[in-house]
Amino acid sequence: MKTRKSKVLGIILVVVMIILSLLFLFPVVWMIANSFKGDAAITADMNTIQAFVPPAPGKGFFNNYVSIITDTNFLRYMLNTLFYAALLIVLGVVVNGLAGYALAKIKFPFRDKWLMIIMMLMIIPSETIITINFLFIAKLGLLNTVIGYILPMIVNPFNIFLFRQVFVSLPDDVYEAAQLDHCGPVKYFFTMVLPMSKTVVATVSVFTFLNVWNDYLWPSLVFTSSDLLTTQIGLNSITSNENTTMGQTLAVITLITIPVIIIYSLFSKQIVEGVVSTGSKEG
Amino acid sequence: MMKKNRANSIMGMAFFGPALVLLTVFLFIPMILTVIYSFTDYFALSPATTHFVGLENFGKIFKDELFMQSFGNTVKFVLIIVPLQCLGALGLALLINKVTYCKKYFKVAFFVPVVMSLAVVSTLWMQIYSPEGILNTVLTNMGFDPQPFIHSTDQALPSIAIMSAWQGMGYQMIIFLGGLQAINPALYEAAEMDHASAWKKFKDITLPELKPLCVFVFITVTIGAFRMIVQPMVMTGGGPSNSTYTIVYDIYETGTVNWEIGLASAMAVVFVIFVVILTIIQNVLTKDKEDKHENKKK
Repeated sequence: MKTRKSKVLGIILVVVMIILSLLFLFPVVWMIANSFKGDAAITADMNTIQAFVPPAPGKGFFNNYVSIITDTNFLRYMLNTLFYAALLIVLGVVVNGLAGYALAKIKFPFRDKWLMIIMMLMIIPSETIITINFLFIAKLGLLNTVIGYILPMIVNPFNIFLFRQVFVSLPDDVYEAAQLDHCGPVKYFFTMVLPMSKTVVATVSVFTFLNVWNDYLWPSLVFTSSDLLTTQIGLNSITSNENTTMGQTLAVITLITIPVIIIYSLFSKQIVEGVVSTGSKEG
Repeated sequence: MMKKNRANSIMGMAFFGPALVLLTVFLFIPMILTVIYSFTDYFALSPATTHFVGLENFGKIFKDELFMQSFGNTVKFVLIIVPLQCLGALGLALLINKVTYCKKYFKVAFFVPVVMSLAVVSTLWMQIYSPEGILNTVLTNMGFDPQPFIHSTDQALPSIAIMSAWQGMGYQMIIFLGGLQAINPALYEAAEMDHASAWKKFKDITLPELKPLCVFVFITVTIGAFRMIVQPMVMTGGGPSNSTYTIVYDIYETGTVNWEIGLASAMAVVFVIFVVILTIIQNVLTKDKEDKHENKKK
């Protein structure tokens, strides 16, 4: 009797949650559905449930997308950002990973003090030093260059800390065995440590990708030349153009969102682990 | 033995070196420069005329009407978004934890806005909040008056806060879900033996077990909210009549639009001190809890 009652309650809860999740996602559903419509259709559909339904696929279904890709530099911005992200993932994993390994496994002077400093640096909001970094990059003549954009973004105290926490629990005897085989520390790091720590490498890579893809302030300061823009800044230049229609705007933001949704669905396990670890480390 | 120590020191610095150089150039030096500049009238367009002005900048910013207004706006934003986002995340986590079907779908659905960028979310909600937009159409059809949302001084900040809570709460929901799953099921089984009501179980087991996470989430959401800048930059440009201008927005524009680096640095110093105090409060509150746990175990 009791199990039947709890089963009914369970179904009611699921139904309520489905309605809640649809209400929650209404902006996203509206965005995708209307990115396939012309502005006249968007306005006409506004009063009915049609507002949340994409039009029947037919002639002109992809009009907004086609015009965005052919009439603007948007594809270029996407490729730029993918390139920056790939570069920063490789550099970030190497630089932060090496530092994390040193802090975890190598006894060098002031190691524990460095670790404490790294942890304190995690508190500093990056927005407060962005102006000084901008002046510095400008003084070096590196505005509107890929190097000027990338350099300040490679090192990340949080990622160093994340690597350190994982490397600390690696067994020491593997290293001793490798040393007997004349495997130097650098080779050991790249051929043994990183492959043994795939999860944290994936977590850091995914967060680096999301960070580069979604960043707004820093690229908007460094890049003014249209050839180098990232998607977020490109979005700005497209929407501020008077000729851009509402349908096209929705198509652009849908295009920007597709890669992050793909990354999220492929790596949701790593993302959830990364998120939960921020909570458990401190809590 | 001595030789091995020396080899380790060299290797350690070689591994830590690249990160240390970058940290020094792009974090330590900028931080030190920010503190130094905050005592000067450094104007980026004529650096040669820089003077040491003591605490003048700090006096100036607290008399500056725009800074005080942006401070007030930011506090107001924090007061709206923090309860909304924290309670929303906790509520969603509790519901999803109870659900028996489609658990995975719900986790994904409520997390989707988190991976969308602030610029995208802001652009999207500008359309949703527009006077002829979908939200006003729905309101009118339900018999309400259309609202100005981001176009009025009264509603712009709350509108941005609701949007930001919507965008962010999936993150804290995942943190809470992790915490809920870590609670020892034996605690609930014991309570069931005593025929405890659902509310009593929530009050006596779930909440106390989640308390350290609640403090963590509360403080991180608060700090995140104090750092808000992109949403008004994209949606309102700080208006109407500066009602959505925030502290970080003011620091950013004073530095990179007006080039008053000295003044911007003073604002940044005040802001960082504020954030550090919040972090210390968090550490003290959670430490306290951990110590008690330890004592209980003994």
